[in-house]
Amino acid sequence: MELKVREQDTVTVISVSGSIDALTASELTDFADAQIEAGHNKLVIDLSQVEFMSSAGLRSFLGTMKNCRKDGGDMLLAAAQPGVEKVLKLSGFTEIIKMYPSLEDAAEIF
Amino acid sequence: MSNKFQMTLAAELDSLSRFRGLIKSACKGDRGVDEAACYDLQLAADEACTNIITHGYAGMNPGSIMLTLEMLPERVIMTLTDFGYAFEPYEPPAPDAVAAMEERPTSGFGLYLIYQTMDEIDYVTTLDSNQLTLIKKLEPIGSTSTG
Repeated sequence: MELKVREQDTVTVISVSGSIDALTASELTDFADAQIEAGHNKLVIDLSQVEFMSSAGLRSFLGTMKNCRKDGGDMLLAAAQPGVEKVLKLSGFTEIIKMYPSLEDAAEIF
Repeated sequence: MSNKFQMTLAAELDSLSRFRGLIKSACKGDRGVDEAACYDLQLAADEACTNIITHGYAGMNPGSIMLTLEMLPERVIMTLTDFGYAFEPYEPPAPDAVAAMEERPTSGFGLYLIYQTMDEIDYVTTLDSNQLTLIKKLEPIGSTSTG
């Protein structure tokens, strides 16, 4: 898994590449937590390059989203591929996490 | 073209991506396994292996997991064999994401995903091993997958 971060106006975009599984999810959680601790609590997670995600990714998103909202921010997901989107839908996460088809759509929300 | 694949790896999280790689390779070619079905197989195997690694071998030296795939025209038969504690994958109720958000207890997401993506699930435990069989039925080529 590869993680990149960039600022886009008032939003922090974390781009994830590769797979989010039980081995790698904690790396994503720690990376996002570091952004929140640095004061960046408006996060967009760009999933366009994520080829696989298991339930470990759900737990990571849950923790990150809670931390963002605690500080008055939020975490949005963007550009999930069909398989990843299916995991989010089956587990009911689309009821609690805002998802957008593209990075641009998500970044405009904040 | 062989229709059987097998891989035995250490029961550790590093092995997850290699098991998924075997499944992706097995789905390639003219086997009638579309991308959605291939993803479902990878997801179910990943969740089941994670359970074996974190629960089945909990408190003991990690052993191994053997993954086998049999690619048939209308279905894929995937088996996972381990030598740890039995961990029967009962069918859980639908997880409640809202409850999880509010830190109320909720059921596991991993097992639920296995049940949602596989068509048949069987678990057999013997004196020295546990075998989980997962069957994914394949949609006829050209039809729309709903699974």
